[in-house]
Amino acid sequence: MKKRKYRKCSHENIGWFYILPWIIGFLIFKAYPFASSLFYSFTNYNLFKGFSSFGLMNYKKIFETKKIMNSYAVTFKYAFMTVPLKLIVALFIAYILNFKIKGVNFFRTAYYIPSILGGSVAIAVLWKAIFKDDGIVNTLLGYMGIQQQSWLSSRTNALFVICLLRIWQFGSAMVIFLAALKGVPKDLYEAASIDGAGKWKQFFNITVPLITPVIFYNLVTQLCQAFQEFNGPYIITQGGPRESTTLISLLIYNNAFKSYEMGLASAQAWILFIIIMTFTVLAFISEKKWVFYSDDETR
Amino acid sequence: MRFSWWGGDSRHNATLKAIEAFEKKYPNIKVESQYGAWGGWLDQLAVQIAGKSEPDVMQINWNWIYQFSKDGNGFVDLNKYNDVIDLKQYPQTLLDQMTLNGKLQGIPVSSTGKVFYWNKTTFEKAGIAVPSSFDDMIKAGKIFKEKLGDDYYPMALTPYEQMLIMVYYLQQKYNKQWIVNQKVNFTEDEVAEGIKFIRMLEDNHVYPSQKKLAGDGADTMDKNPNWINGKYAGFYEWDSAQARFANALADKQEMVMGSYPYDYGKTKVATVKISMAFAVSKNSKHPKEAAMLINYLLNDNEAVDILGLERGVVSNENARKHLESAGKLTDLTYKSNVAAVENAGFALDPYFEDTKLKDNTGLYFEVFDDLSYDNADAKELAKKLVNGITEVQDSNK
Repeated sequence: MKKRKYRKCSHENIGWFYILPWIIGFLIFKAYPFASSLFYSFTNYNLFKGFSSFGLMNYKKIFETKKIMNSYAVTFKYAFMTVPLKLIVALFIAYILNFKIKGVNFFRTAYYIPSILGGSVAIAVLWKAIFKDDGIVNTLLGYMGIQQQSWLSSRTNALFVICLLRIWQFGSAMVIFLAALKGVPKDLYEAASIDGAGKWKQFFNITVPLITPVIFYNLVTQLCQAFQEFNGPYIITQGGPRESTTLISLLIYNNAFKSYEMGLASAQAWILFIIIMTFTVLAFISEKKWVFYSDDETR
Repeated sequence: MRFSWWGGDSRHNATLKAIEAFEKKYPNIKVESQYGAWGGWLDQLAVQIAGKSEPDVMQINWNWIYQFSKDGNGFVDLNKYNDVIDLKQYPQTLLDQMTLNGKLQGIPVSSTGKVFYWNKTTFEKAGIAVPSSFDDMIKAGKIFKEKLGDDYYPMALTPYEQMLIMVYYLQQKYNKQWIVNQKVNFTEDEVAEGIKFIRMLEDNHVYPSQKKLAGDGADTMDKNPNWINGKYAGFYEWDSAQARFANALADKQEMVMGSYPYDYGKTKVATVKISMAFAVSKNSKHPKEAAMLINYLLNDNEAVDILGLERGVVSNENARKHLESAGKLTDLTYKSNVAAVENAGFALDPYFEDTKLKDNTGLYFEVFDDLSYDNADAKELAKKLVNGITEVQDSNK
């Protein structure tokens, strides 16, 4: 009897055994650092001096320090410039590549390559070389008779250069859009054509509504990534000129690893987390109004 | 055991050769090398030290002992290994600078001074001699613009070098130390005057604006194409690092040392400091072997021959005599160091190069970027500078 009970019990609990490695990894590499950083965010923890006080001083400092608030503002600017542009470009290219045109496979591959290269250190270094005053971009502008720009030393242009690095990697979003476009039934376009709808009307009234789940997915994932951008500003501009590209992730890095103010850096990271979570929640709340699922009978 | 250092290619090659020779001499000791460029080095080392995973032997800046070992317990006390390291070969003043709470934190490798270096080839193109005063620099700015063009400048300075030049000017004019008792020893008006001096030099085309330098897209001046091709014809650099700049020049251009300016007084104010030191990690499992490596690199003639002046003019007396007798103390690094020491004045405050001030995200960059980009009010900048330095000094009390 006992043996049977034991066998039943261990059979029911075998699932825990299989997910135990994941649980251990989660506890060590996610839960513990999360909890530690939350704790440190309420202390004046310095990497080499430890901590001596506990309270809301870091959060107070964040809202009272112009430099830190500026970095959040720059991050917002960056995210809300990059994400819409990236999605628009990705959708546009995917729409074109959905047609049966000669060499379409080559173009699909070519447009995906930047996503593979990513915004790595090597690419960021290359980006800096391309956009410096005597770089390729200014040389080409010169040949075309267009006035050369200070890409890296102008506050507006420098942020645009950083945005462009992420927009350039539209390939992964494009591939997802392409898969979604292939799922749109062709007979809907045929019916619309018969009713006299032009290409633009078909795009906005048939294509876009049917791929809103994919737009939603890309929007949420890209927004989360954009808020956490680091490589571009760190390598290309070091947050300059004049803090115009000091995104919050870079400021967190500087406070943590240059000033050793881990408490303050942790508090900044938690505020960033709350911001990202808020936008994600807002996106999910708004989902009901504009995302259409084919199996949703209420729409 | 592990040994880490930063530097340029020539330093890396020489050090790897020296390590190879050390391993031949002590076959039971294997040294794993960790080296790279200066950029980001301190960030990386700080994390390693905080995580107790730092190398056994580390090349450090002398003032890092104040950052990582304020109580003297951050590194191994090398007094304990005076049977392995010949401490008699070092001037006591230098050992004292490396000692905190009676514990020797590291062995001074070399001393170094800030020197004015000039691209003689470009000055010859402009038809003038290299400057020996600030007045010469201002005149050169005008001539460079007229004869060579708008993109030629007598020199280029980052905000950190501008800070050093400002302190040079103020110390010479007012004949007093920059920091005394962890406080800025100048009034805000005096500091504002120094800031105006820096702006005046930029307005007179002595060096390019920070906007222009940012547009060059170079991480360091020796990698800047305008330095390499001679358009920026001067720099204010440590003698221990001059080789990197000289070697970067293209087409056999010649770099020479300039004189120290005395336009504003007779006080000697050249900046000289311990260039760098070798320290042993307090977490090292092989402190004795680490000390042996340090002694070999700095005191053994075989290593001294290999390393030469790659880390500047050596502090070790035996090494210095050996290089002198071999006729190796003749190059620009040595001559610059002699000149710097001869013109040296007030000692550099240990927190002058604190990360919060010196780093490209630090206060010096903020202040001199505001000055260059916006021509911000000198008094406001002076207030910002003094308050910021005071905050850093107070946090280190």
